[in-house]
Amino acid sequence: MQAKLSALLLAGTILAAAPAKAQEITVWDWKSGDPAAASYYEKVKGDFEAAHPGVTVNYVMQPLDQYYTLLGTALSSHAGPDLFLMNGGAQAKARIPALLRLDDKVADLRKTVIGWPEFTGADGGVYAVPLSIQGFVVYYDKKLYRDAGLDPDKPPRTWADLARVCAAIKAKGAVPCFSMGNKEGYGAEFWFSTMAANEWTAGEQQDFAAGRLKWSSPQVKAILQSWVDAGKAGWFQDGPNSTTKFMDEYEGFMRGEDANTIGLISDVAHWKQFDDFLGADDGVFRMPSPTLAADKTEGDPMMPVAGGIGYGVNKASVHADLAVELAKALAAPAAMQVFFTDTGAIASNTGVDTSKVDSPAAKAILAWLKTKGVPTAHANATAKELEEWHRQSQLLLNGEATVDAAAARLDAVQADARK
Amino acid sequence: MGSKAERRIGLLFVLPAIMLVGLFRLFPLAWGFVLSFTDSNGFGRSSFVGFDNYVAIAHDPVFRDSIENTLILIATLPVWVMLPLLLAILIHQGVPGGRIFRAVYFFPAVLSTVIIGSIFNVVLRFDGSLNAFLKAVGLVPVDWLGNGATALASLIAVQLWATFGMSLLIFMAGLSTVSTELIEAARLDGARPLQIWIHVIVPALRPIIEFVAVVTTIGVLTSMFGLIYVLTAGGPGTATTLPEFLIWLEQGKMNQPGYAAAISMVLFVILGGLAYVQIRIMSRNANL
Amino acid sequence: MAVLAKRERRLLWVAAVPMAVLALSCVYPVFFALNNALKTNKGYILDRFGLVTAPTLDNFVTAWQRARLGEYFVNSVITTAGAVLLLLAVSSLAGFALAMLRFPFRRFLFLVILASLMIPVQVVLVPFYRTIIALDLVNTRIGLIISYTAFFLPFSVYMMTAFYSRLPRELVEAARMDGASILQIWWNVMLPMGKPALITLGILNTLYCWNDVLISLLVLQKERTVMVGIAALRGEYTTNVPLLTAGIVLAAAPIVIIYVFFQRQIVNGIAVGAVKG
Repeated sequence: MQAKLSALLLAGTILAAAPAKAQEITVWDWKSGDPAAASYYEKVKGDFEAAHPGVTVNYVMQPLDQYYTLLGTALSSHAGPDLFLMNGGAQAKARIPALLRLDDKVADLRKTVIGWPEFTGADGGVYAVPLSIQGFVVYYDKKLYRDAGLDPDKPPRTWADLARVCAAIKAKGAVPCFSMGNKEGYGAEFWFSTMAANEWTAGEQQDFAAGRLKWSSPQVKAILQSWVDAGKAGWFQDGPNSTTKFMDEYEGFMRGEDANTIGLISDVAHWKQFDDFLGADDGVFRMPSPTLAADKTEGDPMMPVAGGIGYGVNKASVHADLAVELAKALAAPAAMQVFFTDTGAIASNTGVDTSKVDSPAAKAILAWLKTKGVPTAHANATAKELEEWHRQSQLLLNGEATVDAAAARLDAVQADARK
Repeated sequence: MGSKAERRIGLLFVLPAIMLVGLFRLFPLAWGFVLSFTDSNGFGRSSFVGFDNYVAIAHDPVFRDSIENTLILIATLPVWVMLPLLLAILIHQGVPGGRIFRAVYFFPAVLSTVIIGSIFNVVLRFDGSLNAFLKAVGLVPVDWLGNGATALASLIAVQLWATFGMSLLIFMAGLSTVSTELIEAARLDGARPLQIWIHVIVPALRPIIEFVAVVTTIGVLTSMFGLIYVLTAGGPGTATTLPEFLIWLEQGKMNQPGYAAAISMVLFVILGGLAYVQIRIMSRNANL
Repeated sequence: MAVLAKRERRLLWVAAVPMAVLALSCVYPVFFALNNALKTNKGYILDRFGLVTAPTLDNFVTAWQRARLGEYFVNSVITTAGAVLLLLAVSSLAGFALAMLRFPFRRFLFLVILASLMIPVQVVLVPFYRTIIALDLVNTRIGLIISYTAFFLPFSVYMMTAFYSRLPRELVEAARMDGASILQIWWNVMLPMGKPALITLGILNTLYCWNDVLISLLVLQKERTVMVGIAALRGEYTTNVPLLTAGIVLAAAPIVIIYVFFQRQIVNGIAVGAVKG
């Protein structure tokens, strides 16, 4: 009886880990059902199955709001997928105990693919293959610049420039300077990293990533202060705390209701989407900051760039080797070419040919990627710090917290999370 | 006292329910209880940490705020029960248009949270339709969801609107079995409508009211996740963070099942206490 | 309804006004969903509130195909119907016993069911899922039926108990005098008497099962249910609202049609159990 029961348990586990056939690779993500990414996923599946007879690739798309809950549940029930998608940074790092270390398996990719740090553990090993590169730039509406008497072809390069632009747009009174969606705290997240990109030295970025730079340090507090000041100066539209970033903020910008917005370079809210609405009026610049780190140049701001999303291999997978192969196939240049063309996501594989893109905004971003990238500060904070920064940023905008109080609270969370 | 057959068959009748509940609810609960004493991250090794998670909760200002929000929510509970009861009685008494109302009131309950969230997002956001209306009639717009003073109240109002149809339906079912002769007799004795409500209808519905009160309490504290996720994401600050949302945050986003389990246990105890108090109050009234 | 006093009539008319406003607010989402489902995504972004100008049915076609509703409907219908029937049978048995019969541990067992109602879903997910795996019920419809039954059972048993406890116990005793067995009493007396509650429970449980996403996501990973298909129409951060609303309209249609179509029968069914005083 005992033996029968454990055999049943074992069978169940195996069945769940590799449903139906033995040679089936199950992949979890929140993207494969997206029509823009459909041909990319089909191509990888087709090519991989052709190269590995008898193997079936099974994409399971999960809704994003429950994704990590389901993933955690499946992994702790020993029934996780063979391969799964993760956001780089805090989310990937929290799941390293469940991931296969890939160092020796992806050695051939290390040179052509970028974005590894967001998938690197404390032990220095890499645990996922990055797919896309994420970064923040400011998109602006040239028409609204013209309306306010500004030169649409001279976007701000310094903080003083930006202050002048916002003053002119405010004086015109038709639209707010920045569209700001901070309902989930993402507005403050993006702000944080764009400011840190120029206010911090490379060393300070490393210190922050390691938890050595406290939130109450002058370098970090300056960013908190800039957030409060921008809000007080009336740069943002009304009600940022009830505006969602990815729906309301960007849709407002696309309707031509705001002059600037801090957007992405991959996934959504990027050049491809904005071009569609603004056409030739879709401009882009790199966000300057009020103060400048010693290793940065005035008038030549840097932009935060990091590994966006990536595929990790379940350590418990019975097909781990095949899963690694598939992860590499998903990041291969030919497949990524389709991904880039269809979705506009900037691939982490530098072998992807981007020369045919004709969007001016995309061209500018691709050029900057080569030399203007610095770490994305918030991607190196722990999930707990980020969550608390979301909360504090809303209180700061509402005037319900002071910069000192917010920094003190964040210090406590940082200390707790880095224990 | 029941007969021997009754004793045996009574147990037998409850058995399927107890087995299902035991296997899929109570056993997992016990598991969660054990989990709350570990530092589990969901996979890999975990070790027992005693009461560490509970101590950490006690010092977590976010948890404290979520309990404060829960207390505010609990204070609104009478409205959640009395509003659908009032509407059900009015429909039962033949309010003009009652047939249409009872059909239509159920619509929000059929809709998914996503649709309700999308709608109220465009209604309640700062440049939404409610503020457009307020401005049109010369009033000052309010940041309903982005302001610490109004966010929780807005969320409660939307959830109440979204779920009152269910309670209404249950009350209608209960009302349909309230003896009409009893009401007629009271009316012939010259009782006013309000007196009939208080002295005839409400006592007859007591177990149903108790049921709705307990179920609503549990529903309000355990099934508002969808709406919080869509409408406020727990903010601004912690203004709309309820324990249930915090459990999701710690378990899913923070990957701390042990910590989440400890919060769940506290929530479980709060719910049990509330249900106990409600049942006690109802039972005492019945004896009066 | 007997002849009402004039003042009472007037009172009801006064109450009808706010009730009508509330009714309008309840209809609005239906308008919102239909209106926006007919817009293109770009059209929706540019004008969220306005009436659709160039209606298109494309969203319905896309939603039907992308959410694979054709396949998934079968799963939803089977699992929902199976679970609801099982729920009604198990809960009416248990409710009858807990409310009417006298047997040992009655109060304790009722408290156990009541307590299980208060368990937050998030925390039982992992052990629940492990149980499903151990019983080899993953990716089976019967697994989902059992899961739904287990999850919505406490509510149903509690409701049936509350409902039956309002009925006089003499009903059972009288039937016993007539020589009916307890099973016969359940079938011949309790089920007909419980019709209003059973219909209400049927409606509510149909909604819970049909609209569920989380449990279905865990148990049926290969073959999905309709609501999971719809949930997958939501984007990572942005949602194509017209497409999503079109999907929701399609998914909710059977429920709404059943409810509206059978409203008369439902209302009559709910009214039929009236106890003679």
